[in-house]
Amino acid sequence: MTRAGKTVEESIVERSRWLISLRWIAIAGVILTAAAANLVFKIPLPVIPLLSIVGILIVYNLIFTFLIVRLRDGFANLQISLDLACLATLVHFSGGIENPFLFYFIFHMIIASILLSRRAAFLQATFAVALFLAMVTIEYTGAMRHYCLVSFIIKDQHSNLLYIGVVSFVFVSTLYIAVYMATSITKRLREREASLAQANALLNEKDRIKSEYVLRVTHDIKEHLSAIQSCVETVAGGIAGELNEKQANLLQRADDRTAKLMVFVKALVEITRIKLAQEIEFDYFSLKDTIESAINFVDTKARNKGIIINSSIAPAVDMINGAQVYIEETIANILANAVKYTSAGGRVSIDVEDDGGNVLIRVRDTGIGIPKGEIGKLFEEFYRATNARFTEKSGTGLGLAIAKQVVARHGGKIWVESEEGAGSTFSIILPKGGVQG
Amino acid sequence: MAKILIIDDDADITEAMRVVLESKSHWVISAKSGEEGLAKARAQRPDLIILDVMMETTDKGFEVARELKKDDLLKSVPVLMLTALKDKMGLDFKKEAGDSVWLPVEAYLEKPLKPEDLISKVEHFLRR
Repeated sequence: MTRAGKTVEESIVERSRWLISLRWIAIAGVILTAAAANLVFKIPLPVIPLLSIVGILIVYNLIFTFLIVRLRDGFANLQISLDLACLATLVHFSGGIENPFLFYFIFHMIIASILLSRRAAFLQATFAVALFLAMVTIEYTGAMRHYCLVSFIIKDQHSNLLYIGVVSFVFVSTLYIAVYMATSITKRLREREASLAQANALLNEKDRIKSEYVLRVTHDIKEHLSAIQSCVETVAGGIAGELNEKQANLLQRADDRTAKLMVFVKALVEITRIKLAQEIEFDYFSLKDTIESAINFVDTKARNKGIIINSSIAPAVDMINGAQVYIEETIANILANAVKYTSAGGRVSIDVEDDGGNVLIRVRDTGIGIPKGEIGKLFEEFYRATNARFTEKSGTGLGLAIAKQVVARHGGKIWVESEEGAGSTFSIILPKGGVQG
Repeated sequence: MAKILIIDDDADITEAMRVVLESKSHWVISAKSGEEGLAKARAQRPDLIILDVMMETTDKGFEVARELKKDDLLKSVPVLMLTALKDKMGLDFKKEAGDSVWLPVEAYLEKPLKPEDLISKVEHFLRR
């Protein structure tokens, strides 16, 4: 599924996981800061209350981790509210309004703006402001004890009304401005994401229409070409009567070109059809027999070039679920390439391993290899490596693109490792269970 | 020499096959549609039938083949079906055939067919 295609539930869970991992960092931060304040800056802090809050943070972080897995719900609103309460309590026990860490509330405003709706983010800001004002009030009135930051720059300001007024004003305005700005940016990003998702869907639809058009056109071309080829071959073969040398030569040329065009059109029909197919029919078949049949397909060509194809198939390799015809064609195609681009007397080998859930098919050759900068483009439609074009004029540039489609449809992977002049190794991983990709 | 019926809506391909088969002294009759093909098969009793799968509909050929195989006088006549390999895969062979997979033809030939392949396939099935 694409990024844009993610369900709401999935993205909520994903974002909540992010919040949970941030909290582990925050917990470590609190412990380190408290330790540094105590040991390095010699600021006496109430250890037991601070550690208790850290303990509470750890407990509910574990609970949320568990809840996300079980209920597939992020509880983002609740998580942020609990964090704000914890942060207010931490600040209260470490200097109250004198503690500059007060401004860490801003981080939760940004997180709320990203995770929640704009309204909920403003409500969280209001909750933070309420917590802050409550803390300031109870410390000012003496309803609860003020923990003074002894030996710190600012101390005993919890009863200084001017200080309280200025800090409160800056604090409250900062929180609301932060939420306003962050939600504005998030809103724009969400709109952008939605429009990108829409554009992506539109592109996919256009691509499908294009493929349908290509299929219709190539199918028609193929019909006509088929008739042309049947007629030309019959005459070129002398079946319709004796030909003189010039006639035979020209008809042979026409016949060769028709055959090449036919190969190209067939490949184009095939790749377009795979792309358009919602589903291809899967069945259990013997991969071992299929590979042997693919080897047979290229054997004559290989022998003619003095190339022997070595094969080694692990005994465990047998039945897999997939589209047999496509898999056979893919393997035959890669073997045919190996033979085509390996000079006379070279070596081609195929080995197949089984790791329980998947099979790994490797085709190695001692051929011309692939230039370094071109390996990434090799599986693109119509792409042919420069040295391949030089060695072998004919080729559709579609074989590997088809192979990639086929392997992807089976939920597998295809890749190549190669060194120019030293040979190539094509590897295919196929899941035996055959999940349609 | 044998009597061969070609059922194909493509007149040009039919003509090319006719020339190839006549060069081997076979007697070729042709039909442009499934219905015409069935009528000619019943009237002329060919020794072998070459049948295109895609005519009026994408699997008209199968319909014709099933009709041929239901006919007591024609069911032993070999039917060679012309098809594109990938077309074959999309067809539902189980249609009308009860619970088992039923392939109502003797062989599939992939289009376009080389003259020498056409000759060798035809000779092979005529010898049987």
